[in-house]
This record gives sequence, C-alpha cells and structure tokens, in this order.
Amino acid sequence: MITLSHYLILSAILFGIGLVGVYRRKNLLLLLFSTEILLNAVNIGFAAISKFYGDLTGQMFAFFIVAVAASEVAVGLGLMIVWYKRRGTLDIDTMQSMHG
Amino acid sequence: METYLYTALFAPLVGSLFAALFADKPKNLVTGIATSTLLLVSWISSVVLLLHVAHGEEVHVKLMDWIHAGGLVIPFGFVVDQVTATMMFVVTTVSTVVHVYSIGYMDHDKSFNRFFAWLSAFVFSMMVLVMSDNFAGLFIGWEGVGLCSWALIGFWYHKESASWAANEAFIMNRIADLGMLIGIFLVYWNFGSLQYDVVFEQVADKEHGLLMMVTAFLFIGAMGKSAQFPLHTWLADAMEGPTPVSALIHAATMVTAGVYLVIRANPLYSAVPEVSLFVASLGAFVAMFAASMALVNRDLKRIIAYSTLSQLGYMFVAAGVGAYWVALFHLMTHAFFKALLFLGAGNVMHAMDDELDIFKMGGLAKKMQWTMVLMTIASVALAGIYPLAGFFSKDKILEAAFASDHYILWTVLWITAGLTAFYSFRLVMLVFFGEERYKIFGFHPHEAYRFMLWALAPLAVLAVIAGFFEHNFVHMIEHILPIEEHHISALTFWTLIVVTQAIALGGIGFAVYKYSKGGFSKKWEETFVYQLLFNQYYIPKIYDEYICKPYGELSKIFWKDLDLKVVDATVDFIATTIYKSGMVSRVVQSGNLSNMLRWMGVGLLILLLAAIFYSPVR
Amino acid sequence: MDHILSVLVFFPAIAGLLGFVVSKESIRAYGLSVAAIEFLLSLWLWLSFDGSYPGFQFVEVLPLIPSFGINYYLGVDGISLFIVVLSTFITLIGLIALNVEKDLKNMIISLLFLEMTMVGVFVALDAIVFYVFWELSLVPMLYIIGAWGGNLRIYAAIKFFLYTFAGSLIMLVGMLVMAYLYYQATGVWSFSITEWHRLILPENYQIWLFVAFFIGLAIKVPMFPFHTWLPYAHGQAPTIGSVILAAVLLKMGTYGLVRLPLPMFPDASVYMIYPVAILSLIMIIYTAMVAYAQEDMKQVIAYSSISHMGVIVLGTFAMNPEGIAGSVFFMLSHGIVSGALFMLVGVIYDRRHTKLMSEFGGLAHVMPRYGTIMGIMVMASVGLPLTMSFVGEFLSLAGFYQVSHTMTILAGTSIILGAVYMLSLYKKSFFGEVTKEENKNLKDLNGKESMALWTLVLVTVWLGVYPKPVLEPINTSVESLVSFMHKKAITKEAKEVIKPKVIEREAE
Repeated sequence: MITLSHYLILSAILFGIGLVGVYRRKNLLLLLFSTEILLNAVNIGFAAISKFYGDLTGQMFAFFIVAVAASEVAVGLGLMIVWYKRRGTLDIDTMQSMHG
Repeated sequence: METYLYTALFAPLVGSLFAALFADKPKNLVTGIATSTLLLVSWISSVVLLLHVAHGEEVHVKLMDWIHAGGLVIPFGFVVDQVTATMMFVVTTVSTVVHVYSIGYMDHDKSFNRFFAWLSAFVFSMMVLVMSDNFAGLFIGWEGVGLCSWALIGFWYHKESASWAANEAFIMNRIADLGMLIGIFLVYWNFGSLQYDVVFEQVADKEHGLLMMVTAFLFIGAMGKSAQFPLHTWLADAMEGPTPVSALIHAATMVTAGVYLVIRANPLYSAVPEVSLFVASLGAFVAMFAASMALVNRDLKRIIAYSTLSQLGYMFVAAGVGAYWVALFHLMTHAFFKALLFLGAGNVMHAMDDELDIFKMGGLAKKMQWTMVLMTIASVALAGIYPLAGFFSKDKILEAAFASDHYILWTVLWITAGLTAFYSFRLVMLVFFGEERYKIFGFHPHEAYRFMLWALAPLAVLAVIAGFFEHNFVHMIEHILPIEEHHISALTFWTLIVVTQAIALGGIGFAVYKYSKGGFSKKWEETFVYQLLFNQYYIPKIYDEYICKPYGELSKIFWKDLDLKVVDATVDFIATTIYKSGMVSRVVQSGNLSNMLRWMGVGLLILLLAAIFYSPVR
Repeated sequence: MDHILSVLVFFPAIAGLLGFVVSKESIRAYGLSVAAIEFLLSLWLWLSFDGSYPGFQFVEVLPLIPSFGINYYLGVDGISLFIVVLSTFITLIGLIALNVEKDLKNMIISLLFLEMTMVGVFVALDAIVFYVFWELSLVPMLYIIGAWGGNLRIYAAIKFFLYTFAGSLIMLVGMLVMAYLYYQATGVWSFSITEWHRLILPENYQIWLFVAFFIGLAIKVPMFPFHTWLPYAHGQAPTIGSVILAAVLLKMGTYGLVRLPLPMFPDASVYMIYPVAILSLIMIIYTAMVAYAQEDMKQVIAYSSISHMGVIVLGTFAMNPEGIAGSVFFMLSHGIVSGALFMLVGVIYDRRHTKLMSEFGGLAHVMPRYGTIMGIMVMASVGLPLTMSFVGEFLSLAGFYQVSHTMTILAGTSIILGAVYMLSLYKKSFFGEVTKEENKNLKDLNGKESMALWTLVLVTVWLGVYPKPVLEPINTSVESLVSFMHKKAITKEAKEVIKPKVIEREAE
C-alpha cells in the first residue's frame, strides 16, 4: 500500500536531489534543471496532500506551479542562449559583475 | 532739577557720539571744542546739582525700565545725593580740564577725533557709574569705564605694548567684575531688589554671614577697578595710554570707583567689621607696597601710577575704619592734585619727545618754568604738607586710623607718608633740577602751549585750596554718611599732626638733599632690595610665568590633545567602526551566484529551525 | 490672516520652488524680496501677537493621520515668537550680505528651503511635524556645506549630517515611547506636544525619556562631549552657512530643551540638573580655553559659540523665570552676535582667502569701519552691558545662582575667559603694525556688508538698552511655563527647586 508518507518521502528525496544540484552544479543550464526538480518535488507534495485531504486547492496550485515553471524555462532558456552567445560559457562563477 | 541731572548725564554722551561721527576722518578741531563745551555744560549742571543737594535734599529719577524678568526689575534710575554730587563734581571738573588740555596734547595725533569720542564716552560711563540708583546700573558704568579704559590704553594700537596693556587691564578688571557680579546675584536673591535704598533698609534684618559674603564679593569688584593687590599690575602697564587718559582715568576717576563702591555701600560695610578691617588692612598694605615700588622706578608715569595706587590704599583704609566721608574727601583732593601731576608729566613728555626715563631729564626747570611750578604744587599736595589740599585729607585718614585704635595701620600709613614725600620730590628733583642730562641724549625741550597751562590752573587752585572746604564738605556730607566723633585729646591730635608733618618734611628734605648731590651710588642699584623693588617684587613675572603661560599651554593641550585626539577621535572611532564593519561584511555581496545560493541555503536553514523551535503550533 | 503661521512656513518653500524658473540675473533680487516679505510677515506676527497672553496663539490644527493622533498643529508663544523673527531676520541679513558667485541660484533656493524648515521647527506643536522639520533642516545645510565649503567640506558635511541625525533618531524613539505611554494612559493616540505636557509620568519613566530627548537635543546644541561636529562644520561652511548654523540651527537644540523635556518631565529635569550643569560647565570653561588656542579666526568664534551655548543651557536649567527668560533672550542675542561675528570673518576671508590670525595684524588701521564693527561685536560677545548679550548672560547666570552658588561662580568665568580669547583675537588681527604686504591695500566694507552689519549692530544695542519689547512677552510665557512645571512636578525636590516667581515686584 502506497501511503501519503511514501509520496512525501519521494518529494523530499527529489527536493534533496534538486538542492544538491543547485549547490554543486556550476553550469547555469544544469542549475535551471535542478530548479525544475525542486519545483516538481514540491508539486508532488502538493498533489499528494491534496488527494489526502480531498481538497482541490493543492492540485490547483500544482498546476499553477507547472505553468510558472514552463514560462520560467522559456524565459530562462532564452536568456541563457543570449548569454552563451555573448560569453561562450555558462559557468556561474564567471557571472560576476559586482565586486563586493 | 531733573533737567540738570539729565544734562549732566547725557551731555558727554552727545559729545562722544558727535566726535564718533568723525572718527575715521582727519583731525577736526571742532570735535575737541564741541566735546569740551558739552563737558563744561555737564560741569555747570553738576555744580548746580551740588549746590542743590548740599542742604540735604536729593534728586531721584527713573528714566525707564531696563530689565524685567521674573521678580527681577531693574530700572534705569538715577539718584543725586551728596555722595553722587561730590563724585559728579570731581569727575566733570577733572574731565573738563583734561578735555581742554587734550586739544593741545593730541594736537599732532592723526586720531584726534577718535580720542575725543572715547574720552567723552568714558565720562558718560563714569557718570552712569556714580549716578545710578541700583547695583545693576552701577555695573553698566563699571563695565563701560572698563571698555573706554581698554580703548584708551590701547589708543596707539599699533604699539604691541599698548594693545597688550589694554587687554591686560580689561581682563584683570573682568576677573574682579565676576566677583562683583556674584555680589549682585547675592544681593538680588537675598534682598529681592538691586535698588540701593531697598537693599540698605533691610541690612539690619539679615544674617551676618550673608552680609559678609555680599560685602566680600562686592569688594573683589572694587579691588579690580581700584587696582588693589593682587590685581594691581594692570595700572602700571596702563600708562601706555596717552597721558591725559592716565590723568583722567587712571588717577582721578575710574580707579576711585572701587572706593566709591565701598562708600556707597557703607550701610553694608559698617555692618560687617571683619570685612571692613580686611579692606583697611589691604589698603594699608597696598599703600606701603606701592610706595615702595615708586621709590626706585625710573619711568616718569609709572612713578605717578604707583603713587596713585598708594593713595588708593589710603582711601581704603579710611573707608575700612568707618571714616567714609574722609575717604570721599581724600578721593576728591587726590583727584585734583594727581590729575595735575599727570598733566604736568604730560607736558614734560611732550617736551622730551615722549621720553619717560627720568634719569635722562634734569634741569628742565629753566625751560619749563610753569610746568615746574604746577608739578611742585601737586607734589607738595601729594606729600600732604600744610596748607595744601593733601594735608587735610591725608591727615584725617591718619587721625581716623589712630582714633579707631588701629595703631598698626597708623604706623604703616605714617611711614608711607614719608615714602610718598620722598619719591614725589625724587621725581621733581630728577626732572626739573640738577644736571641737564637731556642734552647728552639730544633732546630740545620746550614749554607746552599757553592754553594748556591755563587749563591746568583750575586744578592747581583746587589742589591748593580744596582742603579749606573741609567744614562745608562735612556739613554737606553728614546728611548721608556717618560722621564719627573722635575721642582723642587735643594734645594727641596736635602731636599726630606734628609727627606726620615731620616725616613728610623729612622725606622731602632727604630727597632734595640726596638728589641735589647726584643721587644714590651705583652700588645701591645692585642690591637685592633695589632689584626686588625695581622688578615690582617680580609679581608681573610670576603672573606671566605661572598663570598666563600655563593657561596658554593648557589651552593648546586641550585643543590638540584632548579635543582632537580624544573627544573627536572617539566620535570618529565609532563612525569608522561602523564603516569598517561594512567593509568586512561587503564580501557577502560579492555577486557570485554560488556564494549567494549558499547564503540562501543558510538563511533557509535558519528560518526552518526558527519555524520549528518557535512555532506557536506544535 | 488666520493662517499666518502656515504662510510663514510655506511661503519661502513655494517661493523657493518658483525660484527654479527665475532667470539667473534676477535671482538675487528675487531671493532678497522673498526674504524681505517673509521678514515683514514675521514682524506682522510680532505686532499682532498679544504679549500679555502666556499661551499659544495663532493656533492651526489640521488632522493628518487621525487614527494616530498626528495633526498639522502650529502655534507660537512668547518663547518661540522671537526665534521665528530671528530666523527670518538672519536669513534676510544673510542674503543681503551674500557674497557667493558660484551657483548663486542653488544657494538662494537652498536658503529659502532652509528658512521653511527653521520656521517650521519653531512653530510646530505636533511632535511629528516638529521632527519632520527638524530633520529636513539638515538637508539644505548639508548641501550648503557640501557644495560651497572649503577643502574638507565633504567630511564636514557628512559628519554634521550623520552626527545630528543619529542624535535625533534617539529623540524619535523617545517621541514614539512618549506617544505610546500617552496612549496607555488615556486610550487615545496623540503626538501633540501640548497634550504631552499635561501627561504626568512616574519619575523613572521620566528619567529615561528625558535622557532620550536630551541626547537628541544636546547634539544639536552642541553640548560637550557631542560638540566636535561644530568646529568642522563652521570651519568648512561658507559664510552664510556658518551664520545661519550659529544663529538659528543651534537654537533648535536649546529651544527644544525649553519646549520638550522641561515641561514634559519636570521631575526628571530637576533630577538631572547637576549632571547637565556639570556638562555645561565643562562646555563653558573647556571650550573657552580651546577657543583661546585656535589659530583660525573662524574657529575661535565657533568654539566661543559652544561656550556661550553652555551658559544658555545653564540658564534653562535654572528652573526659575529669571534663568529661563534669560536663556531664551540669550538665544536671540547669541544668534545676532555670533551671526554678525561669522559674517565679519567672512568679510576678511573674501578679501584675503585666509582666516589665520597670524596672516593679519593692524587691520584696524587699514579697514577702520570694519575694525569698529568688529570691536562692537567682540564687546557684545564678551557680554558688555548695554549690548544684547549682557541681558541674556546676566539673567541666565542670575537665575542659576539660585540653584548653585559655586557652579555659578565657575560658570561666571565665561565672562573672563570670553574676554581672554576674544580680545586676543582682536589684538592679533586688528592691533599692531600692518606687517603683511597683502594687507596694506585691503578695501574697507562695501555697501552690502555695511548695511547688513550696521543693522545687526543697531539691533544689538537697541535690545541691550531697551530689551522690554522682546523680554516682556518672553517673560510672560516663561513665568506661566515655570508655574506650570511647579504644579506638575510630583517629587518634593522638584517642587522645591522649580521656583515660580518668588520675589514680588518692587520698585514699581
């Protein structure tokens, strides 16, 4: 029997993977992928809890996040292509114009 | 009578303002004549007032309110009673003479107009000082004469010594004025008013300690203005001013303001014998102390200045032993003969191209016969020889000291009388008689203008005859000042006179004998006593070394080391600490994405932990 | 003219805004006429002011944030009236003598804005309005020092701004706490200063609030040890900046003391008399000595300002009508006299581009009229009778004498030390021979300068001889303030120390 806990554990594992990706990856593209994993981890959580409580708000929110993520990817990828064309790299350590 | 009062008071002010209009213009004889005329008007009004009050009346007017705050009400009120009228007579007489004399004396000075503006302003301030009916008004005049004295001592401001002396005089006087101000505060908070009549009425109900404080603080003020020890050094240095100024301000009028204050406040002082005794003792001390410095000084004007100091001491003795009217009387006669002496000295200075060293003069009698006569009259009067004015007043002081059983004071004054006679005639001998030393130094002395000599005539006459008005004076003054009856026998009385006359004549005789033979030997000048006296007991040096210099140094330390390096540095330290903490933490804002992500993670963690530990719902 | 105060506050600001479209050539005339109208308006205010009524007059109330009790609330009494007149007067005089070529337009507009904030502070009766004007006044001054100042101008301007700003933030906290306490006590929010006056707080609250207010005000005064911004600000500011800073901006601090902590916290004020008096004494004597050590004329006057402000604070804490009326009067006279002195230093700075006393000597000979006015003002500064300063200094010290005998003697040394540094300044620069070649052909005062300075001399002497028209309304308000404080005080000591008129009038 797959219970709510299983879904939440899956969500947490995915979130962890995403978080590690965000931290460890130096490539902006992969950073973006990791963000997507984070968002989807949250989505799973939302959907599972929604089902558990029988409240549709959670699933609605999940859809909302999917939409946001899609537009984010669209804009993000566009920006990244422009960036790559200009600089020839997507390494985030090179993206530093402030010198604190 | 009010009209006369206001005329007497404001005529000098009008003259001063008129002359001030021309202050930066070239010499204009009109300023001199106008101010002198206005002073004559003031003198006439004063004489009318004097005659009016002589029979016991007094004129009291209130011009307007000056300060009114809380319970403190100070009007511009003026009172002319017998004491005031005497002072007014002295002030206007001497200043009229000095004004006329100055027209000649300042003849070649390019700041002729400015001189008269200040001189008349001084007379106005002095009139305010003596005529005011309350302590605050007195203080206006008190500071006003200080200001004019500052401006006139520093009249030749291009000379370093003159401007230095001017500042010294002002600051010394200010030290004393603080005492006076405190005295005034005490009077206000304890008597509820600053009006003389209101205050003096209540003297009997007040505690002794309070009265002591009041009189002591007021006397500190008097000590500054009358240059009593230890605030005396400015008077000798004030001789940097033009000689008419020395005659008017630093001999006849301003310096006697302290004596006037004590006389005016006699109900207070007679209630506190301790302070009065102190006043008398200090007076006697200063009389001898100053006379001793006059013995060896070589500077024509400084000798006379020390003699003024010494005579002021006499006046304080009289006031201190309760013979207020004698103090006032001596104040008056002294004003006449001392002004005469100074103005005569002015003639000599003019003749000698402003040379002051009496050892460079000698034998001037031939060239300056009239000046010699005038100065000799003044010196005889100063020495207190019968029948000149000085005899009557000085003898009364000695008598009063003796009769009130202050034998030590009497002895000191008696010796001082001898010293006075000696140094006066030392001066006369060295300047007018003996070898004509001035020829060695290439001077070409000449007598002063005729009108200047004539201007001195009234003073000379007064110096001779003023003493004979003693009974009229007593008759007038008894309306306001206590006249004590001495209980001394006729024998003692005559003995005292003879003894005093003897020492005075002895002093004169010794001076004439010694200096007609060429004076003291060189050896005397090397002795310690001579050096001590010649350097004024090293007091100016001590002041300079132990007060002025440390003050300057301390100020520098306060500024450079304390203000800049401690107080300001602390403020800057706080500012730089904040600034530096910013510099340290700015690395956070490096702009590096991975760094930022890390900070984000840390922040997230902290928030999560906070949410767990501080969650209101468990 | 019901809204005369609003007109007084906002007229210069609106005129300042319009100034942006005035052409460069006519900006000077424009600025002068605005300042003159403003001054005439303030004179009108004085004339229509009822000197025998002690409370606030020409009151205007307009709700701003009703739910928090914040109102646009203005009014004047005898204490603030003359400081308002002083502000408009000094601005006018400053503009007459203004001698700036660079960016004249910006300068005049800044001055007009500054005028708004100054008048605003003195007529505001709502703490928030007061605070807003208080802070706004920093901005034009910051700009004036920063744009027209000397070499260190940026440092000086920032120091001035941050220092006073930090202080007033502490005061703001105090105000918020006060409003909260008021809310707790009455259930209504109010920032009205007159309402706050009526609130009686327990003594420990009073002390903390007093300290908060006092720090904010003390930095502005500036009291030792918070004074170090002032010499820099004066040293670097252009002449007009120094004149207004010394004449009016410093008065905000002392005015604030009379208006805020004293009637609000009478017990705490009495409790704090000795600490405050000791600070004032240090301020009087220490800065007078520092002034003596200075080499720069302007710094001497800057430090002398601090020293005199010490006497003002002392008079304020005398807690009797004599002292407080005296200190309010001294604020005015110090405004006039120190304003004139800074202007006088500006005159010589314009000619020689230096302020070092060692560069001068014998100026009295070259510039006699300048020397005369300087002499008069030096004498006024040392507090000679028949000048304005004497009345103020005399009353302040006389008032404080009732509090402490010894301390008054110590404070009285200001009349000695004042003479020491002022006369040595005068001697070093005006007496002696003319030694420097550059000084031999200096021009005496020109028309503008003479006009401005003689006006100040006239006021100094007029109010020294006949202070009644000014002193009387001040006295009326102060007497009612003191008796109010006496009534309000809760501790026994405070009742004893605060003395409403103890001595009945005599010699009437």
